[in-house]
Amino acid sequence: MLKMNNINKVYQTEMVQTHALRDFNLQVDEGEFIAVTGPSGSGKTTFLNIAGMLEPFNEGQYLLDGIDVGKLNDNQRADLRNQKIGFIFQGFNLIPDLNLYENIEVPLRYRGIKAAERKRRIEQCLEQVGLASRAKHLPQQLSGGQQQRVAIARALAGEPRFLLADEPTGNLDSLMARQVMELLEQINRDGATIVMVTHDPELARRAPRNIQVVDGQLADLTLYQGTQNLKAAGV
Amino acid sequence: MFEIKPIFNALCRSKVGAVLLLIQIAITTAIVSNAAFIIQDRIGYLSQQTGYPEEDIFVFHVMMFGQDVSLSQQYELDEAMLRQIPGVVDAAYSSNTPLSGSGSSSDFSLKPAPEEGKSARTSYMFIDEHGLNTYGVKLIAGRNYTEDEVIVTDNYDELSKVTVVTKTLLDELFPDGNGLGQTIYFGDIPMKIIGVIDLMKGPWLKDSRPDNVALLPFIKAGSNARFVVRTEPGQRQSVMNRVEEAMLKNYNKRVISRIRGLDEDKEQYMAEDTLMMRMLIVLITILVLVTALGIFGLTLFNISKRTKQIGTRRALGARKSAIISYFLVENAMICSVGLVIGIIAAVYLGQLLMQHFSIAQLEISYVLGTALCVFVMSLLAVLAPAKRAANISPSIATRTI
Amino acid sequence: MFLHYLDLSWRSFKRTPLVSFLMVLAIAIGIGVTMTSLSVYHMMSADPIPEKSSQLYSVQLQIMDDGSTWWTKDNLPLQLTYQDAVNLNKADAGGKRVTMVRTGFSVYLDSDKIKPFIGQARLTTPDFFDMFNLSFLYGGVWSEQQEANAAPVVVISKELNDKLFAGENSIGKIIYLDDASYEVVGVIDDWDITTKYYDLNNGSFNKTEQLFLPFSLMKARQLENWGNTNGWKHEKTNTFNDKLNSELVWLQFWVELKTPEEKQAYQDFLMAYMQEQQKLGRFNRKQLEAKLRDVNEWMQYNNVVSEDNEILVGLSFMFLAVCLANILGLLLAKFLRRASEVGVRRALGASKRQIFYQHIVEVAMLGFLGGILGIILAQVGLLGVRQSYSYYKSLATMDLSMLLSAPVIAISTCVIAGLYPAWLVCKTNPAIYLKSQ
Repeated sequence: MLKMNNINKVYQTEMVQTHALRDFNLQVDEGEFIAVTGPSGSGKTTFLNIAGMLEPFNEGQYLLDGIDVGKLNDNQRADLRNQKIGFIFQGFNLIPDLNLYENIEVPLRYRGIKAAERKRRIEQCLEQVGLASRAKHLPQQLSGGQQQRVAIARALAGEPRFLLADEPTGNLDSLMARQVMELLEQINRDGATIVMVTHDPELARRAPRNIQVVDGQLADLTLYQGTQNLKAAGV
Repeated sequence: MFEIKPIFNALCRSKVGAVLLLIQIAITTAIVSNAAFIIQDRIGYLSQQTGYPEEDIFVFHVMMFGQDVSLSQQYELDEAMLRQIPGVVDAAYSSNTPLSGSGSSSDFSLKPAPEEGKSARTSYMFIDEHGLNTYGVKLIAGRNYTEDEVIVTDNYDELSKVTVVTKTLLDELFPDGNGLGQTIYFGDIPMKIIGVIDLMKGPWLKDSRPDNVALLPFIKAGSNARFVVRTEPGQRQSVMNRVEEAMLKNYNKRVISRIRGLDEDKEQYMAEDTLMMRMLIVLITILVLVTALGIFGLTLFNISKRTKQIGTRRALGARKSAIISYFLVENAMICSVGLVIGIIAAVYLGQLLMQHFSIAQLEISYVLGTALCVFVMSLLAVLAPAKRAANISPSIATRTI
Repeated sequence: MFLHYLDLSWRSFKRTPLVSFLMVLAIAIGIGVTMTSLSVYHMMSADPIPEKSSQLYSVQLQIMDDGSTWWTKDNLPLQLTYQDAVNLNKADAGGKRVTMVRTGFSVYLDSDKIKPFIGQARLTTPDFFDMFNLSFLYGGVWSEQQEANAAPVVVISKELNDKLFAGENSIGKIIYLDDASYEVVGVIDDWDITTKYYDLNNGSFNKTEQLFLPFSLMKARQLENWGNTNGWKHEKTNTFNDKLNSELVWLQFWVELKTPEEKQAYQDFLMAYMQEQQKLGRFNRKQLEAKLRDVNEWMQYNNVVSEDNEILVGLSFMFLAVCLANILGLLLAKFLRRASEVGVRRALGASKRQIFYQHIVEVAMLGFLGGILGIILAQVGLLGVRQSYSYYKSLATMDLSMLLSAPVIAISTCVIAGLYPAWLVCKTNPAIYLKSQ
């Protein structure tokens, strides 16, 4: 599904050079649910941006579904994003001027899907996140949890095979967070691959596979997880 | 691809900015179309044909204060002297000069006063048989008057018996085209039309009948006189430089003044209109610029307000071209409504101007032309900020503020 | 507090220099364009003699027989016939009066020092100087006696006195006008009026005359009229005397009437005069009509302010409206982006009124800067007008009142534009901005 080989990402400002990702290697298989953790500034977000083709990288190779992303131009990357990837952002990023229905419609329009099909999908997704009755509401009329559910619905509407979630529960209280997490798990069971960045260990633990980014490199995740489990067992 | 409906819905939810843009576009359209119409009208007026080779003609003013000569004899001598100056084609004493805003006019009638007959407002000039040649106007029918027909006198007891008139005057009095050879009346004095001039403008280009001119072979020399001189092309300035000295040499108890080219006289007469035209051109240029700047600035602000949104759209798979077209479509929609209001306002303003001022009916083509230009202008003003918006990185979407 | 707000405004200006500059520029251009046309309009329409303009009346008589028409909007001729002007001047009615006409001469001295030149002259009865508030540098006006005798005397302008006599006291000196000699009896001081309101026939903004002579000289020496002569019926006017006795109109007549009662009395007198004249076979009409217009009414009636200028002023104000909408849009954007900052201020205890005041101070500052820059632009515009049309030289300038009104208009325009954005900012709920983001 996703394969990163020796990815390097350097942020260059006038004064300093920051090595955000250093020889980063990762393989994600179809149907996995991965939680990415790590201290702040470790490169989690950079990883997510590169995985979602929101940012270019400096060195290395990134294959998404077998397609070499580094060789694509901007339009091709946009189209690939549109077709394969669904995004869930920490800040929800709903468009304030558009109502829920129109918000979910945005990626579908970019894909050029016909109006009737759009309607069908949007209604289905709204149903799935439990907000079908609120289609005409504007984002600011909803609570944070509801907004995030709309954002998930928007990510799902394109029927992506690959879902990228950036601290999806970061702005939510624990009850809401649990609801959102359950929703993600449901989606994963339905067949989508999910990569979720989070700093909440409890949330991370619910994912079948955990990876940790430290100083722009992948830490040994199995060992990490093993230690956690041992701790949990009280050894 | 064009997301007309959601853009429209989004606009409806943040009205004020759109309404302001709309007002600007509407007023701009209203002003520019009317101003452009007036400008076009003035350009037509300013560049009209007068019938004279203006660059080769100059006129000057003579004020006699010496009492020791006969005025009419002196003027004869002056004419003869002027015609001898190298470079001069012809010269004549003229009771007044065309295009200057100062002259004489009267009604010329088909019946002698006080009988009432068909009549036409006409400006007239007393000038001898050299008049036609000096003014360089074209005789298209009949003949010029002869030296014998010119009456030289010091009172108005006897006036000319013949006249040469412009075609416009002839056509107004004799629409059937049989005017040549007919008699018309200046007051109760009969005059036979012996010649027809193609085109010759009178003293007032803004008169209701600027083209009705009659030349009368009559000289009543007064102490206040005007002469007109036509030179070979390119010779005018040198003759103008010499003329005062030459005239004073002929007789010195007089003042020679206002030595001016016919085109300069015309320019002065038209100066106010030239000014109006220039001011309007400046006005609409700046206005269009200000409106464009306004659109530019507002779009820029809109974009910075929507940076996150644009990044999100890009993350959701919008191509750069989709972002550009979003802003173009949004602008085009506001602009279209603004233009509809602007077109109505332009027509209304035109009506208002027509009612209160002497301005012709606004032609609808000016309004539509202006609307098109404003539309293109507004799209151009949006293009640069929209391109900037398209370059917003999609990674903005994952950034928490 | 005001100074603090001013400081905040200036910081805000520096924070978004491009947009702030665009706003100032938009105001400046609007003010520049408006002030350019408004200044010309102001100078054209300004009251040339404010202390007396409502006491000086131009007299018009309806001399035409029934059925004839004139081109003025109320069908009245603009000038008087010689007979009427002389009769009205002689009659014992009204206050000071003046009968006058424009003419001109070749002017020279007894020496060869000065080349003969053309001098613009006014033939007038002696009350002219007092009525139109002219002051004398040397000497004074000719006497009633000299007026009656058509004495060869002349009052000259300061400019002419400078040219002919190097500015010295020239009383008693002789100058030559055409073929005759005249004695200088007075030199008037500079007469600064932009509008030649007392005779609007040949260009409202031409310079005033340089020579003033007794009106009686006109008949005595058969002097020519350099102004307009108009007729309404066919008459034989072959000789100068014919012209004096004709129904041609070519003279200006003004009367000074200090009170409404005096004006009414004079109006009655004019009606009585016309009835008297009817017995002599003139004024063949049912409805007699005489009109008294004061200086401002007279200028308006004569369309002193050109149509073009009125159109320009109108368009300029519409232009200003565009600039206003422009500024409003930018202000809205600028202020709303600052909503979170306002939220913090509100949370720290600022009242709505203080927030509102702060923002109004900011727009006023923008307006002031725009006004100042606008004056500079207007000066450039007026320079352009003067270059394009020298006739407007004295008109295309800004007097003090215009200079002061530029920033006033700019600031009030901006404050009007700023009201809505400022209100919007101060009414936003601070909590929203503090919670999210």
